[in-house]
Amino acid sequence: MTASNETNPHAPSPPSENPSVPIHLRPAREADIPALVPLLLRLKRLNEEFDPLLKVRDDAGEQGRAVLRSNLADPKGLVLAAEGVGADKDKVVGFVRAIVRERPFYVPEFEGVILDIYLLPLYRRRGVGEYLLREVSAALKGKGAGVVTAEFPAQNEIASRFYAKRGFRPITAIHARSL
Amino acid sequence: MAESSASPAPAGRSGRRRPRTTRSAAQRREGETDALGRRSVELSGYYQGKIETVPKVPVRSLADFALWYTPGVAAVSRAIQADPDLSFDLTGRWNTVAIVTDGSRVLGLGDIGPRAALPVMEGKALLFKCLGGVDALPIPIQVSSPDQFIATVEALSPAFGGINLEDIASPKCFGILEELAKRLPIPVWHDDQLGTAAATVAGLLNALELTRRSMSGIRTVLLGAGAANLVTARLLLALGHDPHSLTLVDQRGILHAERDDVDELMLRNPWKYRFALRTNGGGRTGDLAAALKEADVLLAASTPNPDTIRPEHIRSMAPGPIVFALANPVPEIWPDVARSAGAAVVATGRSDFPNQVNNSLVFPAVFRGILDARARSIPDEVVLVAARELARGAARKGLSPHHLLPTMQESAVFPEVAAAVGDAAVRLGIAGKRRTHDEFLERATTLMGRPARLVRALARAHLTPPMPRGGPRDRRTR
Repeated sequence: MTASNETNPHAPSPPSENPSVPIHLRPAREADIPALVPLLLRLKRLNEEFDPLLKVRDDAGEQGRAVLRSNLADPKGLVLAAEGVGADKDKVVGFVRAIVRERPFYVPEFEGVILDIYLLPLYRRRGVGEYLLREVSAALKGKGAGVVTAEFPAQNEIASRFYAKRGFRPITAIHARSL
Repeated sequence: MAESSASPAPAGRSGRRRPRTTRSAAQRREGETDALGRRSVELSGYYQGKIETVPKVPVRSLADFALWYTPGVAAVSRAIQADPDLSFDLTGRWNTVAIVTDGSRVLGLGDIGPRAALPVMEGKALLFKCLGGVDALPIPIQVSSPDQFIATVEALSPAFGGINLEDIASPKCFGILEELAKRLPIPVWHDDQLGTAAATVAGLLNALELTRRSMSGIRTVLLGAGAANLVTARLLLALGHDPHSLTLVDQRGILHAERDDVDELMLRNPWKYRFALRTNGGGRTGDLAAALKEADVLLAASTPNPDTIRPEHIRSMAPGPIVFALANPVPEIWPDVARSAGAAVVATGRSDFPNQVNNSLVFPAVFRGILDARARSIPDEVVLVAARELARGAARKGLSPHHLLPTMQESAVFPEVAAAVGDAAVRLGIAGKRRTHDEFLERATTLMGRPARLVRALARAHLTPPMPRGGPRDRRTR
């Protein structure tokens, strides 16, 4: 991670190329939003499978567009788009969405939160997720984060195992009940 | 052979009326099915069960019970305690199979529960005995989860030489079979997966031969992605079918890696998910019609509805296509309609049409061979051996578009299938009893032939009452 952006210090640095994974990772742009929203919705629908309190709203598509637009404009936001290779060249096949949050009571003071990681099925189990995690962690560190966290449904064992294998452990639990 | 979980996307209605002959034929068949149902209820009330236990040892006087039961039997128990394998030699375990169901998908009736499944399991036990010479016990169980099902069957397993799973809903049937096959030292079979798939593959092998096609060169569409077709797909790949030329279609259309429900499948049906990732090269999307263009083979195991596959679907396939419409009791297209639309070979699940793809062609012989070899498992290699031998059996009598598979009457084939299965178990190193081909064949011929003699003898001795005349006024009490 050596490159920096002179004109906008908040823009994410372009991630490093890694020829061993079948994707090309780059910062997302406003123009990617139409391609990103369906992937974001796929992830939210996957979350819905784990818990009825994660039921996806009817207007989730519009919300997704708005949230992505705001993430892209936010200096603390980070959205990376993964493009495929070969026949999928120039097609967005996955993404990462993250944000840097201040921790007023704890050190390190800034936490890089991975909100969403999604890859289309054909790009899974090929080391891409690991690469995405490495790159987003580096980018968050570049934005001042001293710790990286990931949010996902408590019942998502696939995600639990993925992060546990890479040195993550649960630090905060969010428990819920309907009102 | 139908799979409730796998109804296809509704076919577009052309607005044209179906030919009159088809409709009246359909109505006639429906009437016949109703009449059979009424008669079956009547006879079930008369006989009150289809099987019973019968002693297989001489009982000359009460004194013999001292041999067959205590005190003599204690020595037999001690022997088995010292060498558990002896349970196969000193009891009927070697030839006894449990037919286990939770009643969650019985025939085309759906989730009717274990009590209502019992008559079907009794019928299956009758087939096991009459066709395979296997003693099978109907065991519908009341369970609330796949884990409980698995634990229950594991607990039952010491009494049995094999387990036949029956009428369990997809996709839980896949996980149950996989886990039980892993845990149990005896073979486990799920007929709706393996039996149907093996019969389908047998028919397909001969259909390919007849139409001069090869497994590696065909494009195949599977309609329905439930128990039978997912295993058929797996067997086709094992036989060299190119996964890219294989397309699965279910009620949501073509199965592909970017379909909307693919993440849900990853969690709920990983078996189907794996096919979503591997098959359908070229990325076709859409409905059955989109899948079928230029396909050589259509294997339908979906839901009963003769309009599921339309003549125009068949016409869009490659010239002289192979069409298996296996839904029961009503195929996805009537055979005459498929043939007039250009199908070179048509098979269904019914006995009143040529080329019946029928589990009963497979499971009795597979179990005969597997039990005689005392095999620990039934790997796909064995299933494929059974399919190939069945195909060869039909070919020996001459292949034609009307004779792809042996009929149930061609019973000489079945001991051959059993012997081929026994040989395969020995070859694969999973046989607890090594026998030669001739030994397997002779044993299978004897054991599979015995029940018919038994049934005749019981009837002659009036121990089995003759069938009462039909008609509601003819009901008798025993």
